[in-house]
Amino acid sequence: MRYVTALTLGSRMISPVSDNQPLLRVENLCIAIQNAGQLQPVVRDLSFEVQASQTLGIVGESGSGKSLTVLAIMGLLSGSPVRVTSGKVWFDGKDLLQLSDAERRSIMGDGMSMIFQEPMTSLNPVYKIGDQIMEGIRHHQHCSAKEARTRALQLLEKVKIPDASTRIDHYPHQLSGGQRQRVMIAMALACDPLLLIADEPTTALDVTVQKEVLDLIAEIQQDTGTAIILISHDLGVIAQTCNFVAVMYCGEIVESSTTEKLFQRLGHPYTRGLIESIPPLHSDVEWLNAIPGQVPALNALPVGCSYQPRCSHAQAQCRQNPPVALLDDEHIVRCHFAQQLQGRAS
Amino acid sequence: MIAYTFKRLLTLVPTLLAASVLVFLFIHLIPGDPAAILLGDTATPEEILALTRELGLDRPLWQQYVLWFKNVLSGDLGRSLFFDTPVLQVIADGAETSILLALLTMFWIVILGIPIGIVSASYKGTWIDQVTSGFAMLFASIPTFWLGLYLILIFSVGLGWLPSSGFPSVSDEGGWTNMRYLILPSLTLAAPNAALIIRLVRSSMLDVSREDHVRTARSKGLHPARVAIKHVFRNALIAVAAAFGFTFAALISEAVVTETVFSLPGIGRLVVQSILRRDYPVIQGVILIIVVLYMFVNLLVDLAYAWLDPRVSLS
Amino acid sequence: MKLLTFVKEALEGRKLATAGAIWLLIIVVAGIAAPLIAPFDPLEIDPIARLSEPGTPYLFGTDHFGRDTFSRAVYGARMALIIGIGSVMVALLCGGLVGMLSGYFTGLGHVLMRMVDVLMAFPALLLALVLMTVLERSVFNTILVIGIVYATTTARILFGMMLKLKNEVFIDAARCSGAGHLSLLFRHILPNLLSPILVQATFIFAFAQLQAAALDFLGLGLPPEVPSWGNMLAEERIYITRAPWLLIFPGVLIILSVFSMNLLGDALRDRIDPRFKDDIAGV
Repeated sequence: MRYVTALTLGSRMISPVSDNQPLLRVENLCIAIQNAGQLQPVVRDLSFEVQASQTLGIVGESGSGKSLTVLAIMGLLSGSPVRVTSGKVWFDGKDLLQLSDAERRSIMGDGMSMIFQEPMTSLNPVYKIGDQIMEGIRHHQHCSAKEARTRALQLLEKVKIPDASTRIDHYPHQLSGGQRQRVMIAMALACDPLLLIADEPTTALDVTVQKEVLDLIAEIQQDTGTAIILISHDLGVIAQTCNFVAVMYCGEIVESSTTEKLFQRLGHPYTRGLIESIPPLHSDVEWLNAIPGQVPALNALPVGCSYQPRCSHAQAQCRQNPPVALLDDEHIVRCHFAQQLQGRAS
Repeated sequence: MIAYTFKRLLTLVPTLLAASVLVFLFIHLIPGDPAAILLGDTATPEEILALTRELGLDRPLWQQYVLWFKNVLSGDLGRSLFFDTPVLQVIADGAETSILLALLTMFWIVILGIPIGIVSASYKGTWIDQVTSGFAMLFASIPTFWLGLYLILIFSVGLGWLPSSGFPSVSDEGGWTNMRYLILPSLTLAAPNAALIIRLVRSSMLDVSREDHVRTARSKGLHPARVAIKHVFRNALIAVAAAFGFTFAALISEAVVTETVFSLPGIGRLVVQSILRRDYPVIQGVILIIVVLYMFVNLLVDLAYAWLDPRVSLS
Repeated sequence: MKLLTFVKEALEGRKLATAGAIWLLIIVVAGIAAPLIAPFDPLEIDPIARLSEPGTPYLFGTDHFGRDTFSRAVYGARMALIIGIGSVMVALLCGGLVGMLSGYFTGLGHVLMRMVDVLMAFPALLLALVLMTVLERSVFNTILVIGIVYATTTARILFGMMLKLKNEVFIDAARCSGAGHLSLLFRHILPNLLSPILVQATFIFAFAQLQAAALDFLGLGLPPEVPSWGNMLAEERIYITRAPWLLIFPGVLIILSVFSMNLLGDALRDRIDPRFKDDIAGV
């Protein structure tokens, strides 16, 4: 597979090497939250692309805006105080933000589907899991109940639910957390989506189950060629699963690269902080290298680089907006010292 | 399900027994000799003595209770002082009116309360929601009898559309058209209760709509109306069903007032009149029956709850 | 003081509820200062001026005895306050104590809550009616009866809250630092229950008005000579067409007061309920 760098930072676009249209292209997306009559920006000027069959990982702390970004792409922000204020979301040749609600719904669950963080609460407790999987199939493919049920059974087998023909008539509370997440995956795959968005799909699961679910997602990606956006706060999870990584901080992408290159040459001090805060497996350490300070509040974003108050390399010029530095054609960093720092990466 | 029903029925027994003790003690709470109270002012000393023997009033209280309870089980609730007929007969006479009134009222509550509640929740924060919630709360704040009096004033006295009082049996001349006598009373009775159901449906739906699985349903691309009914309302229904026991209790309470306002020959008015007539055996009998009925309704509510929510274990 | 700020916060941005609170304030002032506000003695009969229309000197007209409706309404506000506050006190003292103790001492609670269940087997107004049959018609008995009816629901609500609170970490912490039962109950747990209790109190106050009016209407509430809104309606109901003001004024007063109390209770409830705080999805 040939990886095409398609991640861009800020308003600067790096045109893809391939002449294929990307499956998803987010351009200058701005999201704000309505708070006491004021619009508070939460995602600022975000741009990136996902090619068909590509797996993009978005990593960042809670509050970095990663979940809101995918909810906006999916079209699930309506009814909340959060809204897209500007930007474009091109999917499969259409700007999703210009579509009518009905057109939008015809894509949701069909061309694009989503897996959520909480498998324990993301299934409707009063319906059998089979019926919940069938609902989306019948809605988009207008098939008979019998066909939909056959399809649902196939899906349950595909996500490796043991004894699927019995389980199909079980209620969510009769399943374990890992199994429920498998059901969620089956539901998301119901209509063979072009893009699958997984928002922290393993965070709520036990570590052993986490691995199984991630392997399943990777396997599905291999089999079906579905493009995947995987959101996580855990860089390890992303490294295991994704070809591309985008690191988000305070509503911006601060670094993006192929996974391989990211780990070879860390560009942004924040990414480095994230990696160094993972405790090493094979040596005893006295202290964990936690990043000092906290994610700033939305209404108190620092001037210039939003990471500078916590950054050990911060200097006076960090109070200016950092430029987008291109380490190579697949590795982009939003930092004044990107070139200098990456040389010193251990 | 049958085992579950049986189990729930068994748990009702202690409460029912305790409630029956209270109802039994009611006669003894009234100052004076129970036999004299039960026989009324016109009783001769011989009659009082005879009843004292019959009910074992000279024996210890617990033996009296056992005797009374045996009588109750065999359908003997005593005799009405006012009518001089068996209490059960007096109550049975009022049953038709009260049951039909209750059914018609339930009908209004369901067809008004549930759809308006759904609309109110679906348009949360808009003027539609503000108007419906505002009116719902207003109707829950109006005394039942006041509303009844003004409905009579407008629709009976003013417009002459509907009768203002009484209710001939549906087996009398007129047949089911006699139900028109129950339209105003049932609307009066329904108003505050429908208002509560509106508020309950609205708030439970808003609670449910915050749950994660609703977002899952929306992510399937379903129409908002389908999400609202099939996913949000279906879950909210569990809480609404659970509250129907309270609605029933409120209905009985307010039926007492409504039947009085509209002079309906039902059990509610019978209670009030019996209290004013000091017809204690009837008061005791009606209360016993209502308590049993209320518990039975609560049992049905429990079963409905278990049926609506698969998480409730039936074993 | 803390409760006052709680109320203030709850009313922020809620115009209707604020209007309701102001109305209730007017009722309170009218009730307390009734003798100063009422132009006539509420019991004074003026046989010549029977059923006179609203105007001067009888602002709201007179009833069929020739008593001044306005003065009776003002004294009715006083009665509404007495009934409301009295019922709330009885309900909170009996029900609150039973609920809290039951939730705290689970063994005792099992027995007490079964008794509450038995009382709750009687529909509210019916229980009140039965009790009134045994008791005499008086202000005190009406308060007692309504209070007992709502004591049952209060007990059950507080029992539930208590069970939740008891398992909170801060209660464990207090217990570990040597706090006794009394100190735990009243210094550590009770303060956390104050705002929900206040909400419950507003609703009891509102319901009590409706129950008292219903009892008055059935002739089983306050003694007939007591000037209450319910009695005014009960006594003058036959004049509904001849002298409509006799039913409109007291009726509207009851509705406005109950409505305001419900609005206030709603605003307060929204303020305490933590579920409403997580309105932002998926951040």
